[in-house]
Amino acid sequence: MTSMPVESPPKRATLRQRVFRALSGEYFWLYLLLLPSILILIAVILIPMLFAFQMSLGNTSIVVVAGRGSINNQWVGLQNYLSLLQNPSFWQALRETLYFWVVSILIEITVGIGMAALMNQSFFGRRIFRVIVFIPWAIPTVVNAMLWGMIFDGNNFGALNDLLLQWHLIQSPIVWLNPSALFPQIPWLSNALSYLGSNLAMNSIIVGDEWKTLPIVAILVLAGMQTIPHEFYEAARVEGASAWRQFRQITLPLIAPVLTVVLILRTMQLMRAFTLIFTLEQFGLPVLSIQAYQQAFAFGSFGMGSAVSFLIGLIALIIAYFYIKRLYREEL
Amino acid sequence: MKNKWSRILIGAMGASLLLTGASSAAMAKAAPRPVVLKVLYMSQQGYSTSVLLKMGAEFHKEHPNVNIEFTFLPYPQLHSAILTSAAAPVAQYDVVLSDLIWTAEFAANGYTVPLNGYIHHYIKNPKGIPQSVWNGLSIKGKVMAMPFLANFQNFYYNKKMLAEAGFKSGPKTMTQWLHQMEVLKAKHIVQYPYEDSWLQAEGLVCDYVRTAGEFGNGNLFNAKGQPIMNQGPALKALEWMRMLYKDGLANPNSLAADEPTAANAFASGQAAFNTNWTFVTGIMNNKSESKIVGQGVVSAFPVAPGTNRATQSASISGFQGLAIAANTPASLKPWAWKWIQFATSPAVQAQHLHSEWPVWSSVATSPQEKRLNSWYKVYQQNLNAVYNRPAVANYLTVSSIIQQYVHEAISGTIPVKTAANDMVQQIESLHN
Repeated sequence: MTSMPVESPPKRATLRQRVFRALSGEYFWLYLLLLPSILILIAVILIPMLFAFQMSLGNTSIVVVAGRGSINNQWVGLQNYLSLLQNPSFWQALRETLYFWVVSILIEITVGIGMAALMNQSFFGRRIFRVIVFIPWAIPTVVNAMLWGMIFDGNNFGALNDLLLQWHLIQSPIVWLNPSALFPQIPWLSNALSYLGSNLAMNSIIVGDEWKTLPIVAILVLAGMQTIPHEFYEAARVEGASAWRQFRQITLPLIAPVLTVVLILRTMQLMRAFTLIFTLEQFGLPVLSIQAYQQAFAFGSFGMGSAVSFLIGLIALIIAYFYIKRLYREEL
Repeated sequence: MKNKWSRILIGAMGASLLLTGASSAAMAKAAPRPVVLKVLYMSQQGYSTSVLLKMGAEFHKEHPNVNIEFTFLPYPQLHSAILTSAAAPVAQYDVVLSDLIWTAEFAANGYTVPLNGYIHHYIKNPKGIPQSVWNGLSIKGKVMAMPFLANFQNFYYNKKMLAEAGFKSGPKTMTQWLHQMEVLKAKHIVQYPYEDSWLQAEGLVCDYVRTAGEFGNGNLFNAKGQPIMNQGPALKALEWMRMLYKDGLANPNSLAADEPTAANAFASGQAAFNTNWTFVTGIMNNKSESKIVGQGVVSAFPVAPGTNRATQSASISGFQGLAIAANTPASLKPWAWKWIQFATSPAVQAQHLHSEWPVWSSVATSPQEKRLNSWYKVYQQNLNAVYNRPAVANYLTVSSIIQQYVHEAISGTIPVKTAANDMVQQIESLHN
């Protein structure tokens, strides 16, 4: 009986070997060309992020000693995070931020998809319509804020008030940018909405922000819609599917990946929304990003400001995780 | 062969180094090295961008080797820019515009240097600047900024509207003011007689302190450094502001208005009264911005009977000075002072009287000022009647608490007394 030669399993390459192979093999040029971008990312994102994280774990102050400025960071561990979580104003800021995010996202999904669906139809002047729709996105955020500041001016001469007064829709001007409670005549509802972060100024700002950002959402969704083959719709029509069913069972599942990207992108943006709110309200509408700025740059507490920033990042990350998880589940 | 070429190459390099070295030395003798002085300033009306650029050009004429590089930022961004500049090893801005509310903070943390030495040596007549201005920019004997802007608030009213309501002059007391507002509203001359800047921002604290001043004194802290917003004039001020809002005498837009917005309401004839910084004087008589040209009057503030006897007014200070950043390189500090001395000098301030009220009494009382500003007597009266906001090292934290509770008290979200007590309690907790 002859014994069969047993092939020994290939030896697992060591980490050094694998790195060497990766760098010297067919990917050499790939890594070489990526290197500048990687170095820039490390320099402008990774290192500042680690530095900010270090600050969030310290009692950070600015000191100038012998004519040289520097940042003094005294290690306090998780103290900044714990202080924030015990502070009622942090929770109010969190609720206001989440309200801003939820309402904005709902508007973007519904109106954004609606706009995209409209732009996906063929009609006379479609190209011009698409260009016009895209204009608000091109306006700088600060200019947009000033524009809405004039529209929402609470005097008679404010653009919106003037219009509503001329149409006799209101008796006296409304102070759109005052964070006053909604429905004051129904106390329980008013209190509940205030608790959730909804007030007149917040809703006005959402309108101003959506005017600028809706076009980019619509354009991205439109790009997704245009990749869907027409045959799908033709087959559905032959089968007698209604327009709503075609949308629900063809359009929506096929634009889901684009929608997920849009949702992740917009969640990140909405969680750190700052310019419009600060320009119009300064510290009067303290969403998390305003609170982070105020802690760091007004109060000089860079540690606390960094801690708020990291919490914003963490919340955005958790939300993005659920989006992505849902997307993969649907694809499977 | 190789050695020969090497020797030639080294020789050529040596010669060129010698030549460049010699020419540099010659140049250094011929002209001093150019100096770039980075100056942080506020984009605003009054001493505007163009006025500052003109001052910079004049300074450059006197000192051709010095170039002034300005950065203009809106007021809400100034403090953060100074802070981040202080965190750098070498200052991003050598000279900064410092607001009086930052004096204590900058002194405590050493962000800017005391100017006592420079002032002692170079300013011949420091008493030429009113003591109230020096007080705002000094702490514990240290002068942290050289007075540049003598900004303060004036009381403005529309004489045409008041005449329609049957009043020959503006109010002298708070009771008269209230009466005039009620009559103006009752006769439908104006829907909201008064508009102020009660947006949740620093302007609200200014108005609160000034109103407290009108009721007796603008002190929000007692001599021991304890907050006292829940008693005396500070509490009366809060009750007054709430009452004006509740009774529809103050425009509800005040709660969302900053100073320029409130000024625009006055200049467009939407309000009979406005309490604001001196820039309103220019706006109300500018045909391109105002619908009330010739109708606006600058006046002393009405005060509660029996109070403010010496001044017969009660204003709020918004003094700003020029300061040298502590991390400015030592070689630049003398130039930084030279620029400060130039920009704040009576001669330069006299050239820009149409822009701002000068800090120097000699300029403020000059025939030129009297000719340009027919309200100069009222200006002097209000300047002498200023109250300062609290001089505490953590002022911006304290201010944010005041802003929040005063705003909520005016809008009625919480009762005035509760807001005042909560404000005091929260400020006290900062020190525990």
